[in-house]
Amino acid sequence: MRRFRFIFALIAVLGAAICAQAASDSADVSHLHVQLVFPSADLYPSGENHAGLYFKLEPGWHIYWSNPGDSGEPPKIQWTLPSGVTAGALQFPAPRRLPLGPLMDFGYENEVLFPFTFQVAENAKEGPAVLHAKVDWLVCREVCIPGKADLDENVQLLHAAPMAEPVSGVDQSIWDRLANALPQPLPSSDSAVFQPTPTGFRLAVSTGQREAQAEFFPEDENILDNPAPQTMTPVKNGLVLDLKKDPNLTASPAQLRGVLELSGGRNFEIAAPREVSYGVARIEYMPIAASAFSFAALAHIVGLAFLGGLFLNLMPCVFPVLFLKGLALCQSGVEERHKLRAHGFVYTIGILVSFWVLVAALLALRAAGATLGWGFQFQSPVFLSLMAALLFFLGLSLAGQFEVGLTLTSAGGSLATKQGYAGSFFTGVLAVVVATPCTAPFMGAAIGYALAQSAAVTFAVFTALALGLAAPYVALTLQPAWTHLLPRPGAWMDILKQAISIPIFATVIWLAWVVAQAYGAALLAALLTSFLLLAIAGWFLGRWPAQRWTTTVAALFLVVVAAVCVAAPKELATAPKQPGSTAGQASASAAWQPWSADAVQHALAASQPAFVDFTASWCLTCQVNERVALDQPEVMQAFTAHNVALFRADWTRQDPAITQALAALGRSGVPVYALYTPGQTSPQLLPQVLSSGIVLDAVAKLPTSATQTAAGSSKQK
Amino acid sequence: MKSLPVLAGIAALVVALAPISATAQAVVGSPAPNFTAADSHGQTHTLSEYRGKYVVLEWHNRDCPYTHKHYASGNMEALQKEWRAKDVVWFTVISSAPGKQGYVTDAEENEYLQQMHADPTAVLMDPEGKLGRLYDAKTTPEMYVIDPQGKLIYEGAIDNRPTTEVSDIEGADNYLSDALTEAMAGKPVEHPYTRPYGCSVKYAD
Repeated sequence: MRRFRFIFALIAVLGAAICAQAASDSADVSHLHVQLVFPSADLYPSGENHAGLYFKLEPGWHIYWSNPGDSGEPPKIQWTLPSGVTAGALQFPAPRRLPLGPLMDFGYENEVLFPFTFQVAENAKEGPAVLHAKVDWLVCREVCIPGKADLDENVQLLHAAPMAEPVSGVDQSIWDRLANALPQPLPSSDSAVFQPTPTGFRLAVSTGQREAQAEFFPEDENILDNPAPQTMTPVKNGLVLDLKKDPNLTASPAQLRGVLELSGGRNFEIAAPREVSYGVARIEYMPIAASAFSFAALAHIVGLAFLGGLFLNLMPCVFPVLFLKGLALCQSGVEERHKLRAHGFVYTIGILVSFWVLVAALLALRAAGATLGWGFQFQSPVFLSLMAALLFFLGLSLAGQFEVGLTLTSAGGSLATKQGYAGSFFTGVLAVVVATPCTAPFMGAAIGYALAQSAAVTFAVFTALALGLAAPYVALTLQPAWTHLLPRPGAWMDILKQAISIPIFATVIWLAWVVAQAYGAALLAALLTSFLLLAIAGWFLGRWPAQRWTTTVAALFLVVVAAVCVAAPKELATAPKQPGSTAGQASASAAWQPWSADAVQHALAASQPAFVDFTASWCLTCQVNERVALDQPEVMQAFTAHNVALFRADWTRQDPAITQALAALGRSGVPVYALYTPGQTSPQLLPQVLSSGIVLDAVAKLPTSATQTAAGSSKQK
Repeated sequence: MKSLPVLAGIAALVVALAPISATAQAVVGSPAPNFTAADSHGQTHTLSEYRGKYVVLEWHNRDCPYTHKHYASGNMEALQKEWRAKDVVWFTVISSAPGKQGYVTDAEENEYLQQMHADPTAVLMDPEGKLGRLYDAKTTPEMYVIDPQGKLIYEGAIDNRPTTEVSDIEGADNYLSDALTEAMAGKPVEHPYTRPYGCSVKYAD
């Protein structure tokens, strides 16, 4: 009997040994390697007992975060453990956004470690033990493959810490490399709150510094519309992130929980409570806190905005409109001077109202989740076409093809007061609409600041801008003495009026060029056809003036033109060209690469300085800068000599990535010129009006070689 | 005439803001967006024609392991038979783009139906993903239930066990059957919206 028992025991032991051999702590299954990682194989009651589940994935394959997003499943682990040993839950490092067509998943590519801990009870049996894990996961590229593995880890259970430090091995190196990727709790000095908006949530986080980059990953499923872009607005003391909610979400959550990823690989676990005591307007600058938000700064910016508005009068886009205004002033000369103040007032109202409408529209669209910046209307081919058609028709009238009764174009002396006021109002509107793409110097900073602030501050800044734009004309009307300087009305006015049609037609050419550049020749042809229709309408009005039937015919033509302008872009606009090929086309060099945030990072990682030209073909200032400064041979030579990587970010069409990059630089429109030095986090911004000297100076101050980066960057300030 | 440039100016402003127009969206509790689609026999079906009946939409990809779990086990086929016997219209929808996983021709799909003894009212072929995007379908299998008034009353997972294990079907809480049972009894649907689980719908890039 004894012998049998012995043989039985022997078989049992051998069997166990074979099993232990078969199960290992790692497995290579479809498209991935999975492994249990134990920095120390000694587990004991007071120990930290860290361990992790490690995945190494084939290129292109990914596994999922705890909230996998629109599809997918997170990995799961089930333990079979000796008594007295318990395992904590898997902890998930900050994920990445993984777009899949119209869907968005959250997960990991390349490699990932999910750390966890073990608890060992005081009464656990000492000695060698086997921890058995059954791991399940879903790995996907385009297709998804569920996988599973049985993993065993041999450990030593102890009652107290071992005497000798464990020898570090492969596990230790994986651990050291990846274990610190877990999101950290938000420091107590920082705060996060959120507020429901009509389309989602506005998350405001204060971190004590201006944040350039942020992505939020919701811990709860079915809260956010996962693929929707997250619009980040940097504020002085942190950031504001606009998130779109899941359309099926009915009740607003009490807390917005998840992981916030900031620039430089900083991740925080946040649980933002809903802020009810402040209005939405308040939350935007709330993170700045009372100390940082000063009225002095606001006054400074408001002052700058006023100055910017003044200068806007001299910009090529607004100048023709101003011509008209001046002409109206002269016309009203003799009998209407007492009404001038009223006209100045109405003109100012026109400017104010249209600025407010533009800003309100921009804020509303951004709240609705669109990533837009200043000048956004010029990114719409419909707007461009209608604008060009309107100006062309105006030009025809000015050139004398026909008369319309508006004050601003009327040559006659008798002006109906009512028409005059409407005319003044809409001259103001016109001035604003054409002025927006000419972000004059001073204005880039003011607009960028204004759009990142609360609605109240935004409106204060834009009001100042509007008043600045209106100021020269209003000053004339307010000081009756000055109006005596104006010449008396006469035949010269008719000549001047016709002459003014020249800059108007020039503006039309510019708009047509933008349309052709960005949307192709087919759309240009449609636009030119609508010009022909307008010319015919003008001919009717001029040949048979003041007759009801001509008015009707002309109105019909105008309706057709408007319809063409609205419908044609949908049918005829060509697909976006390669990024950079539109605005960059005219500058004849391959030296400029299309911009992407990654490309800039790549250059900087290779210790190469980078220069980014944020431009658009509808931005005249941009075109001028490119020709007089950037494309000058000596500037190109300097760029080459300093090995500067050149990038062009073309904002002619809507591009959320560029809008976000602009926002990160505190700007909301083009032009912006950013010079990045390797090793420095924020770039140097060059003025919005460039000369080759300015660029050459900036480039000359770059460190001459990568090894001198540190020395050079300290010198630069 | 006088105010025409002015009107055109206003029109320009208004039109510049126009691209925001909201698209129809499938939202639980709201009318389900109407659609017309061709089935695997070339017949067209329009949702509004089925007013007065419950309509189930089942997003399908035969090669997705999650879908496979419900077909290989016979679970989906049984559900189709059970609810069609109660006068429910059942549309299986295939939104895989050509060249992507789960894309099939009409003939291949009809053969598959025979082989699996599947019994939907029809299989809607949606290779362009129009129907999928209209309903914002994310995964296979994702289920939708539309009531006789044309209102979307359920969207989400087929059940509460997001796995590929056939053994998980038994004992799972089947959200689809729950929604239909509750709605037919005149009760509100307890879980009208759940996170759909499974493979992503293989839309064109």
